Amino acid sequence: MRILRSIRHKSCADGTFMKEFLLNAPIPAGFFSYLENFGEVEVLPNLGEGFYTFDKPDWFSIKGFAGDTTVEVRFKKEVMDLTVDFLYLLFTSYREGQADLSTLRRREQAVEGRVRERLYGR
Amino acid sequence: MIKNPSPIYLNNAATTWPKPPEVLEAVRQSLALPVFGSGRTTGSQGEDYITLAREAVANLLSASPPEHVAFTLNATDSLNILIQGFLAGCGTGCHVLTTELEHNSVLRPLYELERQGRIRLTVLPFDDGAVRPEVVEAAITPDTRLMVMTHGSNVLGSVQDVSRIGDILHEHGVYFIVDGAQTAGHIPIDLGALPIDAYAFTGHKGLLGIPGIGGFYLRDPERVAPIRYGGTGTDSSSLFQPREMPERFETGTHNHPGLAALAAGVNYIASIGVEAIAEKAERQTAFFIGELKRESNITVYNEHPALPIISFNVRGLKNDDVGFILARAYGIVARTGLHCAPLVHQAIDGGAGSVRFGLSWFTTDEECRFAAKAVREIAQNADSSVDPA
Repeated sequence: MRILRSIRHKSCADGTFMKEFLLNAPIPAGFFSYLENFGEVEVLPNLGEGFYTFDKPDWFSIKGFAGDTTVEVRFKKEVMDLTVDFLYLLFTSYREGQADLSTLRRREQAVEGRVRERLYGR
Repeated sequence: MIKNPSPIYLNNAATTWPKPPEVLEAVRQSLALPVFGSGRTTGSQGEDYITLAREAVANLLSASPPEHVAFTLNATDSLNILIQGFLAGCGTGCHVLTTELEHNSVLRPLYELERQGRIRLTVLPFDDGAVRPEVVEAAITPDTRLMVMTHGSNVLGSVQDVSRIGDILHEHGVYFIVDGAQTAGHIPIDLGALPIDAYAFTGHKGLLGIPGIGGFYLRDPERVAPIRYGGTGTDSSSLFQPREMPERFETGTHNHPGLAALAAGVNYIASIGVEAIAEKAERQTAFFIGELKRESNITVYNEHPALPIISFNVRGLKNDDVGFILARAYGIVARTGLHCAPLVHQAIDGGAGSVRFGLSWFTTDEECRFAAKAVREIAQNADSSVDPA
């Protein structure tokens, strides 16, 4: 799955920066359990084909509907330059069935250190 | 869950949509012909939109004389001009009252003046959606010069008792600026009878005009100094701003399409009658609230609003997520967050914000039924969270 382009953006009242992304394919339901490897996922299955939220504290949050080709992402502004590449990688690395998470894990750890240093100085 | 084929627009407290066909036509016509005006050489074919709009607004609000209605960009612009212009005549450190119900269009100008050390500010609390007149009276001190307050809360839809409050303020010689952004066009307003010194309005909400036009009514123009200077097309040999209204406050080229839209919008409202508009809004608002209250996990923050504004939250869901679901799954446009009124939210929901529905004359009963059902459906599923694995 790939992010094709950003179709809308705005600064939000809570201090985050929202970007809406257009994807090359509808989000499959299996995508949620994949996301759970990297943060907290909540799914309300009875709304549409399933409304989900993903939260990776200090990085970004994602929300959308299964079967939709757009997602809304809210970046923590202070570290957006560090985390945006990981978001793209999160989508491109997704494969139906078992996914190899090792590359993502390594990237996550590398970015995590820089995010923590930027936000908390350690 | 069925998505409505056409969007249901319930963000009318921010900007009304749709506009009456007469408004769209007026904008088209205003751009189709050159601007008419005395001293211009464009002939007399075009309409004098400035005068048309001024007289229409003055009629609707019972504001006399019409020249005491001045045009601005919007309500925020009006409030900045009024606040700064009034305080220009006060000494440094005078006392100003405002309320927790205010929009940032009032709060930010006042907090900035306080930060600069130019005023001492007291923010009054509200109770059950209203600022009590006795609370206002108790807050007045010998150096209180000004009170700025909203007429209708953009979060709670409550209309304030500006009549009683205005009387109290005037007994103590306090100048009274009222923010009418949410009330103009929604409820009958008689500025000739109300003890209000200045009333700010915007054109794109209840008055059914387009964004970019607003204004204010000023009972005694001498009490507010102009804070902008420039060309007025009058008394041009003078190097100083004219003192008379409305040129005292209207500088630069007018927004003719905005004024044409405003005149058409106000005339449209007058043709229906504000009372009829208010009655329909009251009925639809009551329906909405009755429906939402059927779900125990929906909190409605004012169950008896006087304006067609319904603020609510669904327990277990962020207001922002409810707005997202409404938009994507049902095609309903609502507003979420703080609605530029942070102090109200600190008082009612701990600063988290709410979902807000704002209705207009064009909101249909069918849309109300569909939207109420959608919110109830979301609420019924709010606790159905499952582990994606």
